[in-house]
Amino acid sequence: MPQARKVALVSGGSRGLGAELVSGFLNRHYGVATLSRTKTTFITNMLRARKGRHFHWSQVDGRDHEALRAFVKEVGERMGRIDVLVNNAGIAMEGVLPTMRMRDIVEAVEVNLTAALVLAQACSRLMLRQGSGCIVNVSSVHAIRGHAGVAVYSATKAALDGLTRSLARELGPRQIRVNSIAPGYFDSDMVSDMAEEQKRRIARRTPLGRLARIDEVANAIHFLTSDQASFITGQTLVVDGGITC
Amino acid sequence: MLTAPTLAQIEAIVHGRIRAVLAERVGEVGRLSGTERLSATLGLSSLDLAFVVAELEAELGVDPFAKLVSITSVRSVGDLVRAYQQAFFPELERSGEDRALAAAAKRAQIRRARRKRR
Repeated sequence: MPQARKVALVSGGSRGLGAELVSGFLNRHYGVATLSRTKTTFITNMLRARKGRHFHWSQVDGRDHEALRAFVKEVGERMGRIDVLVNNAGIAMEGVLPTMRMRDIVEAVEVNLTAALVLAQACSRLMLRQGSGCIVNVSSVHAIRGHAGVAVYSATKAALDGLTRSLARELGPRQIRVNSIAPGYFDSDMVSDMAEEQKRRIARRTPLGRLARIDEVANAIHFLTSDQASFITGQTLVVDGGITC
Repeated sequence: MLTAPTLAQIEAIVHGRIRAVLAERVGEVGRLSGTERLSATLGLSSLDLAFVVAELEAELGVDPFAKLVSITSVRSVGDLVRAYQQAFFPELERSGEDRALAAAAKRAQIRRARRKRR
């Protein structure tokens, strides 16, 4: 049965920033659909607590294009609409390019970029019919500044920023906004393997003197998806405590 | 749509969706013949066409541009109608191939006849 409340689709909502976004959208009275490769404790708890009310999760591998498209179709049918897409799912891929395995390069492009393209294509069709919508791609400061050891990751994230600008021009006439967010380092699973000294070094180089909290990154995304950002499209919002300034 | 539509129904549905977009733009429009160029004659943009395709996918349950046909090959209203007709009736595509093969065979026959005359 179609619902009146707005619906947000968040890819990779089982942990980290994705889980924060899922909770944030639910607190803002959105219906939320999310997909992930694994069913984490967070997802299990959400399914138990929500009992299907305004929350939908499916196990989907971001490399499976047909499954991604089917998920969007299912969400459209179950929840009636899709107002927000956050392309959050991503994998960190570290290592210098000359010695990186080809299958790792392909996987990073598939998960970080191709999956975002497939979801944006499928969701934008619904948004075209609705005459409104909002897409946020989660990029990275690595798309803006070069860093050794993250060439492939940087390439996929810079591609998302390019996608953001062109898609904003394509879809703007139908009142669909497209933006990206470029977080710096923030407390998440993706930096959990980082040595403490490395984290301290990043903090020293950051004008605000610390890594971001995960809610600070999520809040920037909630701003971009809100009516307060109603005239913002085609932009990349950098949330990095000033490390790239 | 539970049962497959007829060729005429597909044409009527596609024409209806195009006319609805044009109605938003310029008011009510008359009957479409099929020969109208989507961009040059009717003034539809790529985004208008994407909107029409999204609407048709919702109504007909198929998207011929996902795999079967390239959207860039669609120039006229008739091209768009044929893309959806082929999605429901793949044999139409085969008959198109047959026509192409027949035309190629005829051209080869003419070339052979010319060579014999020399």
